[in-house]
Amino acid sequence: MQFTSGKRLTTTLTRWCGAAVLASLALAAQAQPTGIDPEAHRLLKASTDFLASQQRFSVDTRNTLEIVLKSGQKIEFNHTARSSVQRPNKLRAERTGDLVQQLFVYDGKTLALYNPKDKAYAQVAAPDTLEAMLELARTKLDIVAPAGDLLNKNAYDILMDGVTDGFVVGKAVIEGVRCDQLAFRAPHVDWQIWVQEGAQPLPRRLVITTRDLPGAPQFAVTMTKWNLKPGFDAKTFEFTPAAGATKVDFLPR
Amino acid sequence: MKRTQLLKALVVAAALPLLYLADTSPDSAQGLTLLREARAVVGAPLTPMSVAGVARRTTARAAVASTSATSQQQAATAQQQQATAQQQAATAQQQAATAQQQAAAARPVGAPPAGAVVNALPAGCKPETRNGVEYQNCGGVIYRAAFQGNNLVYVVQ
Repeated sequence: MQFTSGKRLTTTLTRWCGAAVLASLALAAQAQPTGIDPEAHRLLKASTDFLASQQRFSVDTRNTLEIVLKSGQKIEFNHTARSSVQRPNKLRAERTGDLVQQLFVYDGKTLALYNPKDKAYAQVAAPDTLEAMLELARTKLDIVAPAGDLLNKNAYDILMDGVTDGFVVGKAVIEGVRCDQLAFRAPHVDWQIWVQEGAQPLPRRLVITTRDLPGAPQFAVTMTKWNLKPGFDAKTFEFTPAAGATKVDFLPR
Repeated sequence: MKRTQLLKALVVAAALPLLYLADTSPDSAQGLTLLREARAVVGAPLTPMSVAGVARRTTARAAVASTSATSQQQAATAQQQQATAQQQAATAQQQAATAQQQAAAARPVGAPPAGAVVNALPAGCKPETRNGVEYQNCGGVIYRAAFQGNNLVYVVQ
């Protein structure tokens, strides 16, 4: 910055404007809403209800996971996956377009995890609903499906568990789709969701910030493509191990 | 110039928290351990949350496992979990078939202990099938593949 006399007025104005911006930011910080705004509530419920009412769909996701090294350095990992759901009890999730391949298939009776390159798979008996299976996978097998909570028909209850604050941030565009951006706050995490405008209020992005870890790492999933009329066939939710594949166990948690 | 000095002070003040964070974690070995675990995490489309630390669900219940106050505690928890898994695997090993015990008895000097979990096999392994179960014989050390969460790992027999 230069402080020649000719620019003094401009500088002063800049300072005043800067001060005004800072003041408004401070006000905005103070004015952050507390409690759950009914409109945020309504927009979220519309989205989770809409998705729960969809009996068959597939969704492509782009997942970003941050971890914080002991040094404080933040490292980001990315992968893409496609999840196919047929309520009440079928799920196929596969990693797509990536270095590592993995397939997860739940047919209503068993769940299987398969690494094609390693020719190794595990298969265990599973409960007869998608919701119970996701719970088993998470608690007993340490497997969390990408945006698994959103696939759950009780997504609203899971998402809102413990939430103390929520508000509508405003309009935003995700992957070219106009959305309402909502922000919520729960005991250990802050999270945001972007819900598509209009008759099909699909979730388009979910960001979870673990705010009480150093560096506040985030998990983010963007739903890049929804298909509400998927062409599933008999094999979509069927797992047949390839010839020569080895069956392995899940290690106990 | 006073303005410049103020600016410098501000920059230093802003940098202090960063220095503090860097200073609290001189142990790079642990960082590497975490990174290795994280690399294992990458191998999966359905990633376990407990290893990575960051919550992948919004519920407090899910976040509990990953919300220790510091990354050191986080690492310690991960290590404890791994140790528990190893102990469990070791227990399972003790109950395993006689053939495996014989293999363990013939363990080469310096070989990893039974129950140890590794993300990748050493070089020069040969598959062996015993009682219909496939193992990998790596220079006399026997490994068996297993899924730990989404990650394919190998357990020393």
